[in-house]
Amino acid sequence: MDKRIWAIGGGKGGTGKSFVAANLGLHLASLDRDVVLLDADLGAPNLHTLLGLRPSHPDLGDFLTGAVPSLEAAAVATPYRNLRLIKGSENILFIANVAHFRKLRLLRQVRQLATQNVILDLGTGSSYNTLDFFLSANPGVVVTTPEPTAIENTYLFLKSCIMRVLKLYMDHYKIRDLHQKMLDQIEKNSQSLYSFFKSLMETDRSYGTILYRALRTFRPCLVMNKARGEEDVRLGRSVADVARKYLLIDMKYLGAIPYDDDVAGSLRALRPYYPDHRNAAAAKAIRQMSEDLAYSIEFTLRTPPEIRLPDV
Amino acid sequence: MLKRIEDWNYYELLSVERTASQDEIWEAYQAALATYKDGSEALYGLVTEAERGPTLERVQEAFQTLRDPARRKEYDLALLRHAPYTPPKAPFRRSVGKLEIEEAPPRRSFWSRLKRLFINLTHS
Repeated sequence: MDKRIWAIGGGKGGTGKSFVAANLGLHLASLDRDVVLLDADLGAPNLHTLLGLRPSHPDLGDFLTGAVPSLEAAAVATPYRNLRLIKGSENILFIANVAHFRKLRLLRQVRQLATQNVILDLGTGSSYNTLDFFLSANPGVVVTTPEPTAIENTYLFLKSCIMRVLKLYMDHYKIRDLHQKMLDQIEKNSQSLYSFFKSLMETDRSYGTILYRALRTFRPCLVMNKARGEEDVRLGRSVADVARKYLLIDMKYLGAIPYDDDVAGSLRALRPYYPDHRNAAAAKAIRQMSEDLAYSIEFTLRTPPEIRLPDV
Repeated sequence: MLKRIEDWNYYELLSVERTASQDEIWEAYQAALATYKDGSEALYGLVTEAERGPTLERVQEAFQTLRDPARRKEYDLALLRHAPYTPPKAPFRRSVGKLEIEEAPPRRSFWSRLKRLFINLTHS
């Protein structure tokens, strides 16, 4: 089965990651596509609330503790046709610090889910758990808002992803001494990533080439949420452009989702936004983005990259 | 190719194709001005003020060169001398090419073709 794993992530809380994930899922399901939404916000799960559902079992915690035999069994039907949900666990303290082997099992089972589309709603921050979920998906979508704090955290999140990709490759090729060198250099200034690669190319061209190619395989997408005007739309384009030039990554700008007061209204009414506001500008923007990605030949031809995490 | 922002050519700096029209260059210039303007939110947390200034100067230099057909031609020739231009290929072209190669019969060497001919002759 042709499968696509979407990850919705970002560096700052409150940017609307869960909103984008839930409404993207609802839109894809309305197109008769089989969708499983996975609430992978291990620290503060609330995707079920955005769909107007109450917490219930089975959930992700039940899978991780072995109460249900597979992730498939934890995917529960929703009132929306073609859409299933794997709810986040109420046992937050346990699940937020999920052990490495459990995370690997979860990632394996995500790939084995019998569905065409898996949408991972990720938590805030740059913990290894969040980064590994983001990197194992294709497309990975970073959600930000037009505020300096959100933009700062977006760059931080992207830098963390870059460092995680490079570290995984360094571990694989057993060049761990480079990791410390990278950590020392990367924080210096905006050109630090370039400087790191430049000096690596000069000392060891083969490893430099391997790592640079690894970096270029990381191709996240950017969404500017809560845009209040044309200036905010352009700001998203600028952020993607700056990331391409300074962080050396191939970042695609998907566009902006206009700010809509009805989003908060839907949330308070415990109703999902998309089915009730199909003609709103924000719903149209989500539709446009999902179609851009769903029909993008770039993502159709490319299978999700299998990040090989070290079994330690 | 690994490049720092100072090494990007004017087209790369403005994120336009080398075949870009004057309108496209104008739009890209406006977008770049918004990105590198003083106090730009897009640079927050990544690019310092000391780094922003020279980039903005290069953006202006790029626009001044590319808006003037004579200067642009001269710049293009200089770029071509430095590295020949190959237009980017569309991904579907690559994929079609790959499929064609996969579906084509395998290439046979002269000796294998001769052997095949000999076997056919002995069988007939």
